[in-house]
Amino acid sequence: MLSGIDYFIVIAYLVGIMVLGLYFARFVRSADDFFLCGRSLPFWAVGMSIVATDISAMDFVGVAGQSYRFGVSVGNFDWLGSMPAMLLAAFIFVPYFWKAGLYTIPEYLGRRYNDGVRAVASMTWIIFFALDLGVLFWATAVMFEPLMGWPPWFSIIATAIVVGLYTFFGGLTAVVMTDVVQMIIMFVGGATVVVVGLYHAGGWDGLTDKIATMGDAYQNHFKLIQPADTQTPYPWTGILFGLTLVMSNAYMIGNQAIVQRCLATKSVWHAKASMLCGAFFKMFIPMLVMFPGLIAVAMYPGMEDGDKAFPTLVKNLLPPGLRGLLFAGFLAGLMSTIDSILNSTATLWTKDVYERFLKKGASSRHYMIVGQLATVVLLIFGVITSPLSKQFPGIYVAIQTFLSFFQGPAFSILLLGMFWPRATQWGGLVGLVGGICTSILLYIFKGHLFTIEEPFLYISWWSFVVGVLLNVAVSFATKPHPNGRLAGLVFGLPKVPQSSCEAPAC
Amino acid sequence: MLNFDWLRNVSPAAAKAVFLGLFIVSGLLVLMIPKASILEGVENPRWWHNLKLWALGVLAIIFTIYSIF
Repeated sequence: MLSGIDYFIVIAYLVGIMVLGLYFARFVRSADDFFLCGRSLPFWAVGMSIVATDISAMDFVGVAGQSYRFGVSVGNFDWLGSMPAMLLAAFIFVPYFWKAGLYTIPEYLGRRYNDGVRAVASMTWIIFFALDLGVLFWATAVMFEPLMGWPPWFSIIATAIVVGLYTFFGGLTAVVMTDVVQMIIMFVGGATVVVVGLYHAGGWDGLTDKIATMGDAYQNHFKLIQPADTQTPYPWTGILFGLTLVMSNAYMIGNQAIVQRCLATKSVWHAKASMLCGAFFKMFIPMLVMFPGLIAVAMYPGMEDGDKAFPTLVKNLLPPGLRGLLFAGFLAGLMSTIDSILNSTATLWTKDVYERFLKKGASSRHYMIVGQLATVVLLIFGVITSPLSKQFPGIYVAIQTFLSFFQGPAFSILLLGMFWPRATQWGGLVGLVGGICTSILLYIFKGHLFTIEEPFLYISWWSFVVGVLLNVAVSFATKPHPNGRLAGLVFGLPKVPQSSCEAPAC
Repeated sequence: MLNFDWLRNVSPAAAKAVFLGLFIVSGLLVLMIPKASILEGVENPRWWHNLKLWALGVLAIIFTIYSIF
């Protein structure tokens, strides 16, 4: 249980973040303000928001658990899993998206291919985000119950009210600006555990010396690159082909919750700079989430469940006051992910479904209200579905698996769409749907096809390859788009954007 | 083939060289970006507006990390 000072820190954090978020409500007058902050954000706010959105409290526990079991190789997910992709996003994709005046990534796919591709991509993200909300709310309740003594329903509703209020009234501006504060709190909370843990472990040298004497099982604990035939989930071949070339690009370039912030920057330079700023902060994430697992190996060896490494360190090493700070950091991680999901899903629904298929040509204020209502509906859906995580403990893994089916094929059509003018609307649609079907088949027969237990990196790569091949084959067999329709949408072509509504192929 | 069996004999040291090479190639590609594109949207350019420096800085950090570990 937390002490009095810890309670004070947590309550002050919750109230402070709500007041800060509500302050930005005064700047929201239209759909452009609500979804894209009137394109007024500076690069540093967006860069920090990208990191806060990407990292949740589950990363602190889960990544520390993985590093406890497998060592530093789990750090590949934040280093190789972000850096090359964020460079590609900063210098190629984001400037194109920004100049095209987009609100969503599926909107780009709709303009580049057709509305079918836009609808599949948009609905996939909406379903993923909506299901993820319930899991995140439940994670909040699981954190509150042992430390604050609050019953789950109280924690869930309290979090929903705080996040819901500022997201409803303040839109993306409130989400991004609260993310900035939340990232700082996360960094301070995470760094506290690392500094205190390293002190108790005898510093970096003491840590490495202790682990080096623990036998053969730990000989690869400080090696980022694991052999191709390793039994860990991180063979270098999977890291290179699945993570670096496919999953990281799909996440950093195709994830609405990440890219939407870059589209809300005040200029194209700020859009590029925001990605690079985010890449800089991401370099430090593994040190915050991975090092606690290594410290736990040295101090508390032999734990059967690696996910207990982080809570064990917190319980045994942190004094009152610092525990409250860390708990606030945990909450910041969860809340920054929840608010981003709420706003991005409302944007997807309003721009890609409601405005495109249900009501065209309404006023900007009308679409803003639709976005706010979508936020409320999502919030209620998240609260109602949150107990599912208790009834079905595997739901988090199931949701992440569902997303991994989609990422390889989605990146394949984004890549060909941006760099290959010959890619046609039917090539894109067949590539996307065929790639997703390939992922599902590979997953079903993974026991017969793959030698490692969790081959999600390989599945991403091969579904990407199939997506590319299908797109190329069908594109050659169908009528190409005229170059005028592709202006501003394909790298190397003239940069005069054209609305999908005017395009003859649509 | 699905498990990249044909790469099984590549040592982790050689694999590490592949990743370090990837960072170097990324840096070279960044250097090839036209300056006009880098400074697009900036009214009064200063040296710190040069995003090539930002990208090379981050690449230097990750190169160092992968060299050590």
